[in-house]
Amino acid sequence: MSDPDTGRDYPAASRRGRWGGGPPDVDLGRVWTGVAAQVWRREPGWLERAAGRLLRSPGLARALLTTPSLLVPWLIASVVVLGAGAGATLGTGTPYVALLAPAVAGAGIAYAYGPGIDPAWELSQSMAVSDRMVLLVRALAVFGLNAALGLAASAASGAAVAITFGWLVPMTAVCALALAAATLARSANVGVVAGLSGWAITVLGGRVADGRLTAAVTSASLVLPYLLFAAACGAVAWYATRIPRGTS
Amino acid sequence: MNIELTELTRRFGRTRAVDGVSLQAGPGVFGLLGPNGAGKTSLLRTMATVLPPTSGKLRLLGRDPGGYGPRREIRRRLGYLPQSLGYYPGFTVAEFVEYFGLLKDMPPGRVPRAVAVAIEHVGLGDKARAKLRTLSGGMLRRAGIAQAIVNEPELLLLDEPTAGLDPEQRVAFRGLLREFGQRSTVIVSTHLVEDVGAACTEVALMDAGKIVFHGTPEELTARGEGSGAAGDAPLERGYSAVLAAARSVTAARA
Repeated sequence: MSDPDTGRDYPAASRRGRWGGGPPDVDLGRVWTGVAAQVWRREPGWLERAAGRLLRSPGLARALLTTPSLLVPWLIASVVVLGAGAGATLGTGTPYVALLAPAVAGAGIAYAYGPGIDPAWELSQSMAVSDRMVLLVRALAVFGLNAALGLAASAASGAAVAITFGWLVPMTAVCALALAAATLARSANVGVVAGLSGWAITVLGGRVADGRLTAAVTSASLVLPYLLFAAACGAVAWYATRIPRGTS
Repeated sequence: MNIELTELTRRFGRTRAVDGVSLQAGPGVFGLLGPNGAGKTSLLRTMATVLPPTSGKLRLLGRDPGGYGPRREIRRRLGYLPQSLGYYPGFTVAEFVEYFGLLKDMPPGRVPRAVAVAIEHVGLGDKARAKLRTLSGGMLRRAGIAQAIVNEPELLLLDEPTAGLDPEQRVAFRGLLREFGQRSTVIVSTHLVEDVGAACTEVALMDAGKIVFHGTPEELTARGEGSGAAGDAPLERGYSAVLAAARSVTAARA
């Protein structure tokens, strides 16, 4: 006895239902499968539905929900850190939000990468929706969210416009570095360490060269190097996540 | 043939986890036996397109997984249960199976019914809405099997599928294997010889990355007759005899 849609045999429980004396014209196994399909199904939330439409893939939309750095505890931690930065900025006049936002985003991007972090990472590598596409979507979502959180914190701290937007380009570079290191080493933790270290060195180097802590986010001459560096790191991440063609 | 391997090798540094394996398999249940570290998991991961081979040829479902398009098509028709399967603890069984159904590119409209059928198939109907963190090890393994079969795969790769299952569940699972083997190629990697004897039509025995035996369970059993090899069951004695013979040949060459 098979499901006409799938050709697969009905489970034993369903067959028992059919053999148990139901009307001959009612296929209880098929009815039960249809009922179970609706009862067990979780209706996606509006955000997942919107993401599914935007990405034209319900699988990619669901993959966003399993991104470690998009889970609620991580988001709360990010809000707390940036909120503390906004408070410190208001209190001292030093734009700490501009220095913290790239670091928080870099760590978040590294934790969008699976090995050691995503429990079903190996399995997801065997899926038709490629793990590289999943990573790309997750990374873009994490970047966008962190940019929004950073801009909100900057606005709340009353920073000057140059400072409010000045960290977006360095943040791109830090995120790209974290992602490249994570994918090359196949470890999210390595990505976090690389991103945070790179950003700390940049900030401290800017202070030594310019005398100001915020030189790394306010110097217009650094914009092009940041963008070139981000592009190079993006290429590295793209290379690191490839599956070699052929068999060498 | 759904699986065609020719001189397939997979190296990790200097270690040859899979060493020149050639194998063909069509529909049926194919058992992959061998001691720990024999290379079974590496071979299965290569066939699951998770690991690219270092050298040799690999064709799955008539396609070369080296190209993006063919690989994606293979993955749509593939079911894979890794040896160590991680879970999203906050997902229910149905959500977990549905997630992988969607990642397998199944038409979204077909997914809910396929999820229900797969969950019923592994006997988890009464736990379909339970969070994965509340399930026992055997139930989690069955949830893993459900995600592997949700797309009705033509190629089903199962790495130690019966680990954590109780005897009753193992018997039911063998029935599922036989059912899928009628229309799909099912590769079961295991070190439990009795699973192979009960469900498999073909068996290969791996040791040190190589296939040292390929035949039917009956032929493997025959290798143990009168050999004096260790084992409680005839198939176990065949397993031990083949392994001992392969290792003595290797030692003699060394």
